[in-house]
Order: sequence, then structure tokens, then C-alpha cells
Amino acid sequence: MITMLAIEVSELVKKYGEVVAVNRISFKVFKGKVFGFLGPNGAGKTTTVEILEGLRQPTSGSVKVLGYNPSRPEEASKLKWKIGILPQDFNALDRLTVKENINLFCALYGNRISAEELIKLVDLGDYKKVRFYKLSGGLKQRVGLAVAMAGDPELVFLDEPTSGLDPRSRRETWKIIEGLKELGKTVFLTTHYMDEAENLSDEITIINKGEIVAHGTPEELIENYGGGKRLIIRGDGEVLNVLLGETGEKPVKVGGEVRVPFNKPSEAVKILEMLSLKGLNYDFEVEKGSIEDVFLKLVGAKITEEGELK
Amino acid sequence: MKRTLTLCKALIINWVRSKSGMFFSFLFPLLLLLVFGSVFGGSQQVRYSLHVLNRDLDSSGNPTNLSEALIEALNSTKSFNLVLAPSNVEPLEYIRNNTNPFSSNVRLLIIPEGFQERVIRGSFKGQIGVMITFMEYSLKSLSGNISSKNKTQIRKGLEEMKSVNQSLPDVKGELTLLVDPSDPNNNIIKGIIYSVVNAFSFKLIGGKEVVTLKTGNYTVKTYTPVDYYLPGYIAAFIMTNGVMGVTSLTTDFKRRGILKRLITTPLTKMEWILANIFSQTILAILLTLVMVFFAWAVFKVTALPGFYSWILIFIGSILFSGLGMVLGGLIKDVEAASAIGNAIAFPMMFLSGSFWPLEIMPTYMQLIAKVLPLTYFSEGLRFTLILGYPQGALLDFVVMGCLAAIFIFLASAVTCWREK
Ligand SMILES: Nc1ncnc2c1ncn2[C@@H]1O[C@H](COP(=O)(O)OP(=O)(O)OP(=O)(O)O)[C@@H](O)[C@H]1O
Ligand SMILES: [Mg+2]
Repeated sequence: MITMLAIEVSELVKKYGEVVAVNRISFKVFKGKVFGFLGPNGAGKTTTVEILEGLRQPTSGSVKVLGYNPSRPEEASKLKWKIGILPQDFNALDRLTVKENINLFCALYGNRISAEELIKLVDLGDYKKVRFYKLSGGLKQRVGLAVAMAGDPELVFLDEPTSGLDPRSRRETWKIIEGLKELGKTVFLTTHYMDEAENLSDEITIINKGEIVAHGTPEELIENYGGGKRLIIRGDGEVLNVLLGETGEKPVKVGGEVRVPFNKPSEAVKILEMLSLKGLNYDFEVEKGSIEDVFLKLVGAKITEEGELK
Repeated sequence: MKRTLTLCKALIINWVRSKSGMFFSFLFPLLLLLVFGSVFGGSQQVRYSLHVLNRDLDSSGNPTNLSEALIEALNSTKSFNLVLAPSNVEPLEYIRNNTNPFSSNVRLLIIPEGFQERVIRGSFKGQIGVMITFMEYSLKSLSGNISSKNKTQIRKGLEEMKSVNQSLPDVKGELTLLVDPSDPNNNIIKGIIYSVVNAFSFKLIGGKEVVTLKTGNYTVKTYTPVDYYLPGYIAAFIMTNGVMGVTSLTTDFKRRGILKRLITTPLTKMEWILANIFSQTILAILLTLVMVFFAWAVFKVTALPGFYSWILIFIGSILFSGLGMVLGGLIKDVEAASAIGNAIAFPMMFLSGSFWPLEIMPTYMQLIAKVLPLTYFSEGLRFTLILGYPQGALLDFVVMGCLAAIFIFLASAVTCWREK
């Protein structure tokens, strides 16, 4: 039977002594999709990923990756040929150049794919001859992505691929990840960035304190937990006072702007008409719910840039 | 195997491109050799103390010519500080009286009574043999100038000499060397005495005419400090490269996740271990070549590593990279690893007789040296590389081989390829 599943996890538990890092989680990852595994620091993301890769042993529960059970050594060594990995905090041999490092990893997989091809994939042509330790964080991460592809894998694990990168490098990394999906790879992406999960994933699983909080496509999650659409209105003090006084719903005032939730477009039009009739000067935009709202709603906190809960 | 070699190559390049790696693996040992070679070169020699009890006296109570010549030959090697014991002492009592716990062991070479006579009787046989050869040679080359009557007579004489020679008994002069069995320098001392005695008996058999006629002279090889330092430094730095280099490489790779990244490729644990051993072996070979070259270019010390030297260097690389991997596998913290690496490597260097003869160390330190693998490595290299006497290094080969096997086994046990 041809299965569409790349990964199947059920009732997975991992304890480190007293600490329960992962508590009875179950999920499925479909082939050819980008699976976003979103959670704050310490949620259990790396623990889960490394169990899937065969690096750590589950305490209980069952795990299947591309049909293999990674907790069995013989199966794990077969699985290694089919997966690619970008670990959290990727590093390579410092004094080898970009190309030499990529070459090394290609050779470890029996040269299934050429280093040149990978260099093109991650757009490192200009840095081929630069030694690894001289690269910026973003470029190092791109070497990591190239190395993850060195075995021409079916399934790629990316553990927080853009952590600590500047916004530009993050966008460039995103492009590469989108490229992987176009190549038909299954991508298991862990991240604590909501926008990253939202932009790249076909499906998102939110994990917090070792437990799965929600699961679905970004649209489904926003639909269900995103709190609907809002009108954001900016204007002088009078505009804001009028809105706070006169709208039926309870608008929220956030530093110089007022957010007015609405369900039907006609409700929004009504509010804007009312302001125009009073001859007030204002500016507005329509905001959709985001994964950030979903997370706020489900966990009761936000994730900061650094990945902490707040 | 291909994966092993690729990784091995990468590790070497990564190592050689690091300034501190280059410094400690090549430049530092070379500097030591150049500095110490120059400071102690030429005049001063590495000398072992050797007491000689000469009991071979003539009728008026003076040492015989031959026994004196032997002592002179030993002296001419410049390898020994000779101390002459009074000829009437009892050997064991003499050793007891001259031993104190803070100086090195007493070794006593005994030249027995009747030594000269026995050697002459023994070499007489050899000399007649040489003379026969010489006369047969002359008979051929001068045959035009000798009348046929004379020729027949000479031939007859030759036949008689041959039969006399065959009837002579085989006697040899025997020397006795008394040593403390725990003295780690025993083998080296024996090696040097052995080479002197060989040269000495060769000269005796050769007889004056033949020696002057044919080749002139033999020389006994003398040993300079560079002869001593060269194998010692090579051994010591192969050791530090393994113990310090591999330990810090392993902990660094672990800490920075490089090892984890390698583990998640098809690379196996054995391939990883072999790649480390091979890269250390290649560095060891390079180091040896550099050191040997400079010893030759600067100090005129010719020490060409032969088969046994290379084998020993390979075993040494296995042993010390194994030790490095054991430490690297057990220790998590990079700083702790380098501290422990240093704490093992430096005392081992200084206590093992690699840098100076164990000779000059107090007895208890010599006992420590006996349990350090580097002692056997240095000594073995001294035998194979300098003395050209690999038989003397048998114990060294055995000890090193066993330790290498043990450390590789332990390295494999502590290298964690997946969570238990
Ligand atoms: N080897 C370990 N030994 C003991 N506890 C561990 C170990 N690894 C992780 N933990 C604990 O398990 C929990 C989950 O950690 P994990 O690294 O999986 O989280 P994460 O989601 O990857 O977080 P981060 O964003 O920090 O990478 C944390 O509380 C962590 O302290
Ligand atoms: Mg993590």
C-alpha cells in the first residue's frame, strides 16, 4: 500500500529523569508538505525532532518515519540515508571552505548529488571559497541547509532554521525552504516564530510544555482561534473618543489606534460611514487574525523574538 | 572506507589550517629540537653511567692490554660516563655500596679474569682465517713474480694452516653486565655495549694487515644529544597530538553539534574512529619526516625511519588517538577536556625520558616512567630509528600494541553514537 504519510507519531512520551519533555503527543505528517512544529523555548520541539531522527530514545509511544522505527538501530541506520537534517545551532568544520564542507557531506552520502548543485540551491556561489568560521550566521545556516540536502533526502528536518537571524537572512532562508517544497521534499520545520510557521507551513502543530495545543492548516487555525477580522482605525483624539463612545461592540484602544472587531463587511462599512458623516479625519485598515492571535488565545501568552513566553 | 578517508582528509585539512594546530604539531617540536640540539650539540653528550669492574690483570697486577682497549672503545662512543671499580671488589657488594635512592641505578660491566687470553685464542682462529684469505689473494695477484717452486711451497703451507685452524677450539671472551631489572634504560645500554663489542671483535678478527690493506678503519657510531632528542620528541609530540588534539577535537565537535551532524549521516562509529586514527597517523608521519629532515640538515644526524619505525609510529598514533577519544568521549566540557589533556600530556612528556634520559632522574621517578606508555614509545623509536636495533624494542612493541588495542576498545565504548 502506498502511504501518504511521511511521519506518524502516536502517544509519544519522553522523560529526562523527572522532567517530562514530551507528554503523549500524536500527529501525522503528509508527504510533500511543510509541517510546522511551533512552540516556545523548552516546549519539546528538539526532543521530538531528535527522536524522529533516531538520536534519542522515546520513553514510550510509537514513532514511524518513512516506514522505519528510528528507535531501532538497524532501522535508524537505513533511515539515515533518506533524511536530511539541519540541527538547531548548526556548525561545520571551521577551517574548511563552504565548498569543502559541502563536498565532505556529499561524500558521506556516496556523492548522490554534486556540491555545485547544492551551492546553487542555497545561492552560496559567491562564498564557495570562504572558510566556514568567517561566515555570518545567515550564511552558516545556508551551508547547513545545503548539507541537509547532501543525501538528496525525501524528508528534511529543520530545527529552528532562522533563529537569531536578521530579517533579511530570514526571508532568504524562507525562499530556500519554499524551494525545497517545490522539489517535492517533505519538510519538518520547528520554529518559535509565528510568522514563519504561518508563511511556510501547509499544516501547523502548536506544542507547549510538551503537549499539543492545536493542529490544522494556518487558515483553519486562524478561522477557529484567530478572533475574526478587525478594523483598525487611526485618527486624532476626537476620532478615538467617538469610536469608543458610539460603537456597539467593545473596541480596544491600543496606543493611538482603535481596533473594532467585525463579522460581516456591512458592519465595517457602517462604522466608517459614521466617521465620515461626522467630517472626521481618519485612516483605516482591515486586519485578519494571525497565528499570533491563535497562540495568544490558546496559551494565553505571546512568544517573544527570543522564543520566550510572555 | 571511502567515507573514512574523505573524513580523514577533512580532519587533516581542518587541523593543518589552524595556526595553533600547526604550531603545536610541527613548529614547537621542531623549535625544541633546534634549540636543545644547538645548546647541547657537539661537545656535550647524553651519557649513561656505567661502572666497570676489570678483573683481567696480567702477572704484575696491571690491566691487560685488551681489557684496556675494550674500556677505551666503550669510552670512545661518548655514550657512557665510565667509573672504574677497584679490581678486587665483590660485584654485588660494590653495587650495594654505590646505590643510593636519589641517584640512578648502578650498572656494572664485569670483564672477567682471563678475558684477554680467551679473546686472543678465539680471535687467533679468526686471524688465521683472514691470513689464509690474504695469502690466497696475494698468490693470485702476484703469481707472475713467484717461481712455481715457491708457489707449491706456499700452497702446501696454506693447506697446513687451514687444518690447524680447523682444529682450534671456539673460545670467546665473555662479559657480564649486572643491572637492576627495573631500570628502563637497560635495553639501550645493552644495545650500545652490543654494538661496541661487535665492532671490537670485528677489528680483532680482521688483523692488522687486512684492516690496513683493505678498508682502513671501522668506526663506532657515537651518539649525540640530537640522536637522543629526535626519537624522544617525535614520540612526545605524536602523543600530545593525540591526547590534546583529539581530545579537544572530540569535545569541540560534540559541543558545537558537529558530531551530532556527522552521526545523522550514514557515517558509522567505526568509520569515525578510523578517520581519527588515520588523520593522526598522517600527521605523525609528516611530523617524523620534518623532524628527521631537520635533524639531518642542521645536525647531520642521519636517522632514516625504516619499516619498524613506521610500524611503531602507526601503533603510537592508534594508541594516543585512542586515548584522546576516550577522554573526549568521557568529558563534556571543552575547557575541562583541554585541562585534563594538558594534565596528562605534560607530565607524561617530562617523566617518560623523551626529553632527557631517565638516567638523570631519581629512582622513584624512573619507576613512574615505567608505567607511562610514552616511555615505551620513545625507547622503541630510539631502538628502531637511531640504534637500528629493532630486536631491542620487542618489549616496546608488545606494550604499545596491547595498550593501543585497549584504548581503541575503550574509545569505541565511550563514543556515543545514539542515546542509550
Ligand atoms: N538532555 C536533556 N536532559 C535533561 N533535560 C532535557 C534534555 N534535553 C532537553 N531537556 C529538557 O526538556 C525540555 C524540552 O527541551 P527541548 O530542547 O526539546 O525544547 P525545544 O522546544 O527544542 O526548545 P528550544 O527552543 O529551547 O530549542 C526542556 O525543559 C529541557 O530543559
Ligand atoms: Mg530546540
